[in-house]
Amino acid sequence: MHRLRRSVVAAVAAVALAGGCSTGDTGAAEVWDPIETPNRFIFSINQAVDIIALRPLAVIYRDWVPEPAQKSVRNVLDNLGEPVTAINEVFQGDPNRAATTMARFLVNSTVGVAGLFDVATRLGLERTKEDAGKTIGVLAKVEPENGGFYLVLPGIGPSNARDATGLMIDYLVDPFRILTFNLAMDWTAYQAARYGMNAIDYRSRTIFALDDLEKNSVDYYAALRSAYTQNRADQIRLRREKTDTKSELERRDNLALVR
Amino acid sequence: MSLLAVRRVMSRRLLLRRAGLGLAAAALVASPALVPPAWAADPANLIESVAAQVIEIVKTKTGADREAAIRQVLRTNFDLPAMGRTALGKHWNDASEAQRTRFLAAVETAEARAYSERFGQYAGQTLTVGKVMARPNGVTVVDSRLNQTSGQPIKLEWEVRNGGQGPLVTDVKVEGVSMVMTRRSDFNSYIQNNGGTVEPLIKELEARAAR
Repeated sequence: MHRLRRSVVAAVAAVALAGGCSTGDTGAAEVWDPIETPNRFIFSINQAVDIIALRPLAVIYRDWVPEPAQKSVRNVLDNLGEPVTAINEVFQGDPNRAATTMARFLVNSTVGVAGLFDVATRLGLERTKEDAGKTIGVLAKVEPENGGFYLVLPGIGPSNARDATGLMIDYLVDPFRILTFNLAMDWTAYQAARYGMNAIDYRSRTIFALDDLEKNSVDYYAALRSAYTQNRADQIRLRREKTDTKSELERRDNLALVR
Repeated sequence: MSLLAVRRVMSRRLLLRRAGLGLAAAALVASPALVPPAWAADPANLIESVAAQVIEIVKTKTGADREAAIRQVLRTNFDLPAMGRTALGKHWNDASEAQRTRFLAAVETAEARAYSERFGQYAGQTLTVGKVMARPNGVTVVDSRLNQTSGQPIKLEWEVRNGGQGPLVTDVKVEGVSMVMTRRSDFNSYIQNNGGTVEPLIKELEARAAR
């Protein structure tokens, strides 16, 4: 049944079959989740870890660390992520944007003191954030809601076949990971600090949204699965939009929401 | 994106909106009989008025008063029955008339409570209405930005439909996440994990509403 929902063709076929029924369920809203049972298992472990450790740390970080310090931490982490973003922008067919990202990286790494200060934004070089999951989504000839099967990653959370592959690619091409490896630095400590801070920083910014989603849903797992898929699809659409403005609007018309 | 590009996009949005208004005005003058009601009442105005009302409520009211006032705004500006119907999806057909009424009442309470809690953290955010796009199937999509006092603005999209009682909001998308679609997935999963009927879901929603 969920397989049906994997392509826009199937969705359109479903609309045709429903024959304009007032509550015609195109099902396009459902995410393909063939391994729901193991996913829910990982999800509950992640939830436990979140309640015990990650969320409290994120709350302390948000409420106790001074705002400028938080901003600096985010700037440094963002700056370390710029090369990966630039690589992805090249593969997304946007070399100009990749050049801007690299310019940001050079300015912030030097004038911005190793990324502590985001000087580049003040110079009019706005920040973008791309990842390989999005790149696959931009290049793939499927609707962005279709990221392959849904997957809950231990410690990371909601993902899917596309985004998990993307994570792995980003990890492999990350110049900073390669650099520390080649310089034979104590890279486990470096990695732990970077990814740990990234997790706390990211979690501190999602406290409000995730609390809201959990409180207002009857099945948090399903609500998060849907929200994650829609949000990623929206990000991919924004990147695709330059060449294809119509896709999302056409899809909206096919949804049961629009009767 | 460079600053210039941002400015270009903004001016394009303004132009589009002006063009839309101009077109509507021209249509009104030319052939009033052919003008659908949606054109007469501008969906962008609806969103701006909702935002203004909500900000006023949040500034002046708290607790139960706030929830009641928010509920009134939802009732008059949102097509709650249509939103509830869509959120229930195919299960709407399986529900009896009494179940539908109970479901819609429980959803209305849940939404009013959720929104008044969400706005509880209000700290001077403002809403800027952007591009307005009319779709051939009668839905108008209104883009907007929720400007925060610090940090990136949040992208909000409103779907407005005219079902005969003037334009009403039928969905809100936050950063691409549709409230109705998320609820639909949520409800569908709950129903499937609880015997495949709507009764347990309605009971759960009513229990939450009574809390």
